[in-house]
Amino acid sequence: MNGIHDMGGMQCMGPIEREENEPAFHEEWEGRVFGMFFTNFAEGHFNVDMFRHGIERMGPAEYLETSYYEHWLHSFETLLVERGVLAEGELEEKIASLREAGG
Amino acid sequence: MAHDHAHNAPPSDTAMRVKALETLLTEKGLLDPAAIDALVDTYENRIGPRNGAKVVARAWTDPEYKKRLLENGTDAIAEFGFSGVQGEDMVVVENTEDVHNIVVCTLCSCYPWPTLGLPPIWFKSAPYRARTVIDPRGVLEEFGVELSEDIEVRVWDSNAELRYLVLPQRPAGTEGMSEDELAGLVSRDSMIGTALADAPAG
Amino acid sequence: MPALTPDIVPGLVAGGASCRMDADVAPRFKVGDRVTARNVNPLSHTRLPRYIRGKTGIVARDHGVFAFPDTSVCGVHSDPQHVYSVRFEADHLWGEHANANSSLYIDLFDDYLDLA
Repeated sequence: MNGIHDMGGMQCMGPIEREENEPAFHEEWEGRVFGMFFTNFAEGHFNVDMFRHGIERMGPAEYLETSYYEHWLHSFETLLVERGVLAEGELEEKIASLREAGG
Repeated sequence: MAHDHAHNAPPSDTAMRVKALETLLTEKGLLDPAAIDALVDTYENRIGPRNGAKVVARAWTDPEYKKRLLENGTDAIAEFGFSGVQGEDMVVVENTEDVHNIVVCTLCSCYPWPTLGLPPIWFKSAPYRARTVIDPRGVLEEFGVELSEDIEVRVWDSNAELRYLVLPQRPAGTEGMSEDELAGLVSRDSMIGTALADAPAG
Repeated sequence: MPALTPDIVPGLVAGGASCRMDADVAPRFKVGDRVTARNVNPLSHTRLPRYIRGKTGIVARDHGVFAFPDTSVCGVHSDPQHVYSVRFEADHLWGEHANANSSLYIDLFDDYLDLA
């Protein structure tokens, strides 16, 4: 698909920002998302092409405004609902109940 | 530490979302959190650009190894025990007097994990992915690498399942150095192609 | 019982999951062939970026046989075919705005290409 992910040759995206001594993960949740790629893959929920396509189907504005591991999270959610592993709204209910229990 | 912080402040929306997803999948018997702990430990502590630097230093000191590395990157890299996820099929490209190589993934952020670890944010960023194919010399200048026009710049867009490692040129003045010392001159960026290998100290 | 437990992690990390396929598929092109990337605009997944479509390059290397992403996205590794490293000249891709003395190599599947 001719999506926002297909960036080769686009111009005026700004400077390339670098960080010295960058850690593998900047936040604890990034590591959890990273690991979930492997667990979801091992469960047979998707292959790498499905996973990438789940990212490519993000809305273009959201794609540009979110980070690498947020892209991964988005793809997991899309694919897990499409494959019936999660019901529509199930994740939001769990978030609400975790918040009620104090995070 | 991110971990301590998570206990002292309310989690961000994203952190909460991730926690909820992990909790749900765990409750369904589809996820073992200890497996994720092991994966995080592996990529935080065991796999990183020091692996690739060892490969480069060996290629600088052993012509037979270098030949194998350029012919079949996957097998030659596996001689060090570096293999697996996102390095299943490796290609090594050599910088010379006449050619400088630089690697990008325009469609996502494909990167050779077993030799370089996980990619830095800039490699995954929109400006790097967009610009490297159309203006590699401009990108290199931004990284402080100025190449004369006599040197051909080759851009490698790793959009399929091959993963690329740049073999930088061995710096001058390193003739007496050991393989270990040489590996210390090989930065992550020099194996992506956005830097040259470091000059020896002194 | 989850499929991935900590004891399996080292083997999975070191073994990986190659998309190479052990299939006896003849290559449609050979090193040195001039090839043109197809001008296609599929609505689904593809690894043929826009900036390459319709452009002509030279086959530099045959990487062997891999699963085709455009169909594997449906769930099963499928349509095994050769993948080639194809070299494009920067001035052909970018015209007068190209960098001097610059080229681009990209890995393209058989089904993305025609003989030029």
